[in-house]
Order: sequence, then structure tokens, then C-alpha cells
Amino acid sequence: MSAIQADYFDGMRSARHPVTLLVNAARLKLVGQDVDLEYDLASIRMSRRVADTPRWLYLPGGGACVSGDNAALDRYARESALERRVRQWEARPAYAVLSVLLIALAVWFLIDRGVPAAADLIAQRIPPAVERDFGRRTLSALDGYVLKPSTLDGEDQRALREGFARLLAISGDKAGPLEFRASPIIGPNAFALPSGIIVVTDELVDLSDNDEEVLAVVAHELGHVHHRHIMRSLLESSATGFIVTTLTGDITSASALAAAAPTVLLQARFSRDNEREADVFAIDLMRRAGIAPVNFANILRSLEAQGEAKHKGGALPGFLSSHPPTPEREALAAGQDGSKAR
Amino acid sequence: MDQPLAAPVPALPSAPPGPRVLRPVFTGNAREYFRIWIVNLFFSLVTLGIYSAWAKVRKKKYFYGSTTLDGDSFDYLGSPKAILKGRLIAAAAVIVYGFASQLYPLSRFAFLAVAFFGFPWLIARALTFNARNSAWRGLRFDFTASAAATTRFYLPRLILVGLTAGLAYPWFVARRHAFTLSSHAYGASRLHCEIPARKFYGIYLRALGIVIGSGFLLGGAAVLVLVGVGKTGIGLEGLNSPLVTFAIGAVVLYGGYGVAYAYIQARTNNLMWTMTTGPGVRFESTLGAWGMVRLYLGNILAAAVSAGLLIPWGVVRALRYRLEHFAVIIEEERVHEASPAVSRIDATGQELGDFFNVDFGI
Repeated sequence: MSAIQADYFDGMRSARHPVTLLVNAARLKLVGQDVDLEYDLASIRMSRRVADTPRWLYLPGGGACVSGDNAALDRYARESALERRVRQWEARPAYAVLSVLLIALAVWFLIDRGVPAAADLIAQRIPPAVERDFGRRTLSALDGYVLKPSTLDGEDQRALREGFARLLAISGDKAGPLEFRASPIIGPNAFALPSGIIVVTDELVDLSDNDEEVLAVVAHELGHVHHRHIMRSLLESSATGFIVTTLTGDITSASALAAAAPTVLLQARFSRDNEREADVFAIDLMRRAGIAPVNFANILRSLEAQGEAKHKGGALPGFLSSHPPTPEREALAAGQDGSKAR
Repeated sequence: MDQPLAAPVPALPSAPPGPRVLRPVFTGNAREYFRIWIVNLFFSLVTLGIYSAWAKVRKKKYFYGSTTLDGDSFDYLGSPKAILKGRLIAAAAVIVYGFASQLYPLSRFAFLAVAFFGFPWLIARALTFNARNSAWRGLRFDFTASAAATTRFYLPRLILVGLTAGLAYPWFVARRHAFTLSSHAYGASRLHCEIPARKFYGIYLRALGIVIGSGFLLGGAAVLVLVGVGKTGIGLEGLNSPLVTFAIGAVVLYGGYGVAYAYIQARTNNLMWTMTTGPGVRFESTLGAWGMVRLYLGNILAAAVSAGLLIPWGVVRALRYRLEHFAVIIEEERVHEASPAVSRIDATGQELGDFFNVDFGI
């Protein structure tokens, strides 16, 4: 027999009735000034305990009792093992610290291992037709805004296309076509689109000293195609964004954004890893195609010099930003690392 | 022993008792909420999101149970399974949209049409779910407008806003808040809200003034700083780079927008609650624009420097601030009665709303 102080509401009117709860065997009695009710304990549903907030007893017929005497109510709570586990975790600061560590670990694992692995898996299973359609639409979207028709003469284009075909024949990848575009906005650059379309800007061809330098950059882009970086990084960035917004979805969007800042750094690392992979691929392919790797180092130096002249050390052009530092890549091209890389 | 509501008021015709001003009080604290939040996060993560429905209920129960009005706390009755079902449907809808709009770009228009005609239904469902699962003193709240009535309210007015190129927007906002509040009830006690549209024109015009004024002010200051640095010749070449110009521009632009946003939030909230009455009750809201700016800025900074760990602190701080500036004024003591219409409803509506980030403005 125990007595618990509580308030009773009949569920029909908002009037509060202070009552004493008396529990005896399997029966619950509510006794107050104008209340005298009795119920089977089994017919009552008790709300789950959350921190030390008052708990409700929902009675048959729509009435309800509320009491802040959680210590007493705990004795009658019927909670599953899982619910008890959750409540114990919430009650102890040590578990909060443990949760922080485990979450950090889980997020790191998910973003560092889980997302790339899943993206890789999905990227391999995207039907070629879908990817081709995606690539074509990306190119036509760019054509409307930042890309203009190429002004290179047909002879230059043909020579580069032949070189590209030679690289393809050696690497055995399905890629192409090689597209030429003028783009004052982007400047000297080359990039790969989904399904292996490779775009080279007139500005890059103008900057280069010879065709082999352009082919070095094209080989680097082929590396992205070979390793499926384009679809993979698209999938990775959307999955990472989804994870972060799910985790921080508790708050206003501005603070969610602030909390998501570290993942931007992770994204940058992804892309640097991808660039290294593409570099290694390019050097290897150039060797096999009989193009001296020094061409890669030369064009990188030209790109960097051009970038510095234009921006006085400010933002770098597209091909160099988010790429590994140029000296490191030149070293790779010079063969110091290239021979032992995969 | 009797509570004051039920006590007979002594008949004193010469000196009627003045209105009672009730302020809701939050009795929890950030430390307690942090533990609930972090455990929620952990279990949601390891169950790949399934637990998030239970997490939401625990969070709501914590905030409702820790908030008292006139000595009695609130109760949240939403079922995690109903919420999970809603989230699964919402996730399925997003996935279908994602794939279909990539594979068949034209299907976007179909989705747009469905969204346009379907969103009033979503709003009605979400508000109904939330109201009916919120209770105080053993009585549930209610949202009394049907999905059809909500659709009849929204669609013609939105079309009008479109036809006037947005000039009717403040008028629409006034009507929308009046509609939403007037459709809410505590038990069978309906609220009533009427807001003159010109008040919202005033709010939005002043907000526009804030954006333009702060643009001039901050822009002028930025130019002065840049010129000043240039004159001193410290050799900060980087300052002339496009990145710095861009950053200064962003601060100027978003600073003004941020203040205007906080101003609109504060004034809208104040206006809609002061224009609302219920049986024997009226409301008061006294949020300040600067207070909101400080609140938002503090929360964003705290979340950024703590990698998100101070988010619960920010949530509690925001709630405290809002409650401190809100009052229920009892002009006539009444006992409220339950609505006979309230029945069960699933959570699909609300969760779709959460997922697509529709702002319900309450």
C-alpha cells in the first residue's frame, strides 16, 4: 500500500482535482474531495518517463492523472528492456559523454568509409543510358551559360582528337567524346562530365606549348572517368549533405549550416584524394602512350603562373583549386613518386 | 484545496477582480535536454533513422512536460509509430521525386502540380496532428478546419498573390495567420483572430527599409574600411582579392536580411497573438527584433564553435526567450470543455511537412 499525490482531470472539463493515489495489490484508488474512483492497474496506461517531467496515468473512459512523484511511479512502470536502457542513458552524464564519442566515431566512419563505399557501389550500377543522358544534359546546361563554341581550327582539333583516341585505345576506358569550347569565364581548364564526356577549353589549348601538354590534362580527366569520380562525388556530396541535415535537423537552418561546416572540409579532402588518383592514372597512361610525364609538370606550371598573373595570388583557376599542391604533383610527374604509386 | 478556476468569485460589483496575467514557465534546463538530445541522436544514428520517430516524441514530451501554465504542465500524446509511418511515406515520396525528375524531366511539372494542390492538405493534416496530440489539464487542443476548407482558403489567395506579383503578399500573411489561429481550439473553446492587412504592410515596408538602410550603412562602412586600409599601405594585397570583396558583400547583404528577418518574426508573432482572443482569455506577445537578432546570432555562433554540441543550449535559450515574452491574460475565469469531434489521426501530414521543410508559421 502506497500513497502518491497527484492531480486528476476527467477529460471532459479543464477543472483540476487534487487526489491521492492509493495502490493496493492490482487496484488503483483515486481519492479526493469530490473524487472517488477505482481501477484495475492493468487497465491503466502510464506515460514513459522523460527526465523528471510529470508523468500521466491514462485511465479507462478518457480521464487522466498527473504526478511529479517519479520515484514512486517508477515502481509501477511497465517498461521494456529497451525503454529502460534509453532512460538510463539519458539519466547519466557519463552516457552523454559516451554518446558524443560514439556519434563522432559513427559519423566519421559513415562519411569516411560508408558513404564512399556506398557511392562506389551505386555508381557502378547506374545504367549507362541514364549516365549518358545525365552527361549530355549537363553539357547543354553549361553551353547555355559559361561555354561558347570553340574557335580552334579544325586541324588542331583533329590532332588532339587523334591523341585522345590513342589514349583511349591504351587505357581501354569507355569515354568521350572530346569536346572543345571557348570559355572566357572558366579560363584554361578541362573537365570530365558524367558518362565520360571530356571538355577542353580553347584557353587551355592556347596556354599549352604543344599538344602533348593538353593530352596530359586530358589523361588526368580520363583518370576521373576511369575511377568513376564524377558520379561518385555527386553521390557522396548528396549523401553527406543528407546525413548532416538529418543529424542537425533539430534546429533552425542557419545553425544547422554552421554545424555542417566541418563536412565541407571533408568534401575538399575527398576531392584531393580523387585528384591524386587521377594524377597517378594520368602519369601511368602517358608513359604507356609514349608521352613524357614532364609535359604534365610543364602545363601545371603554366596554369599556376597564369593563375598568379591574373589574380595576384588570390583565387586559383578551376583546374588548380581543390587539387593537391603543384610542387607535389610536379614531383609525381618527375617520377619520384610515380614509379612506386599503384 | 479547490483550484482558483472553480472557486466562486465573491460578488463585489464595485471592484471587479482584475485580469490574471499568466506566463508559461519552462522548468527544464539545457543540461537535461542535452542528455536527451544526444541519446536521441545516438540511437537514431545506430538504427539508421528508425529511432528518430521515438526521439521526436521524447523531445516533445520533455518540452511539453517541462512547460507549465498556471501550475499545470502540457502533455504530448503523439505516437512514435504514426510519426515513423509518416516519415517513411515522406522519404518514399522524396526518392520517387528524385528518380522520376532525373529520368523524366517533364514529370517535374506533374510533381509541381501535385505539390501546389496537395500542400493545403498537408498543412491541415500537420496542424491537426500537432493540435490533437497536445493537451493541457486533460483536454486536447484541436485544429478545426478540414483539409477541404484549408484548400479553399489557400489556393484562391495564393493565385491572387501570384497575379499581383507579390503585392498582395502581406495581405495574404495577415489572412493566413488569422485563419490558422481562428481554426485552433482548446477543447471546444475556439480561438478568434482578426488582423487588419495594413498592419502587415507596415511590417513588410519597415523590413524593406531595414534591408535598404543597413545596406547603405554597412556598405558605406565597408568602403571606408577598404579605403582606409588602402591609404595606410600596410600591403594587405589580399584585401583587394575577389574573395574579400565577396565576403564583405555577403556580410552587408545577409546582415541586413538577418535583421529584417528577426524584425518580421518578432512583429508578426506579437501582432498575431495580441489580435487573438478566446472565451474569457486574450494573449500578449512582446518579442523584440534586437532580442531575436542576439538570440539567432548567439545560437549560430555557439553551434558553429561547438561542432553542434551547444545546439540543445540554443534551443532551450530560444524557448525561454519566447516564453518570457508571452502571456495569457485571463479576463474571466472559465472551465473549458472537451470537443466531441476529436478523434484519432495518423501522422502522415505533419511528417511530410517536416521533411519538405514547409514553414507553418506557428
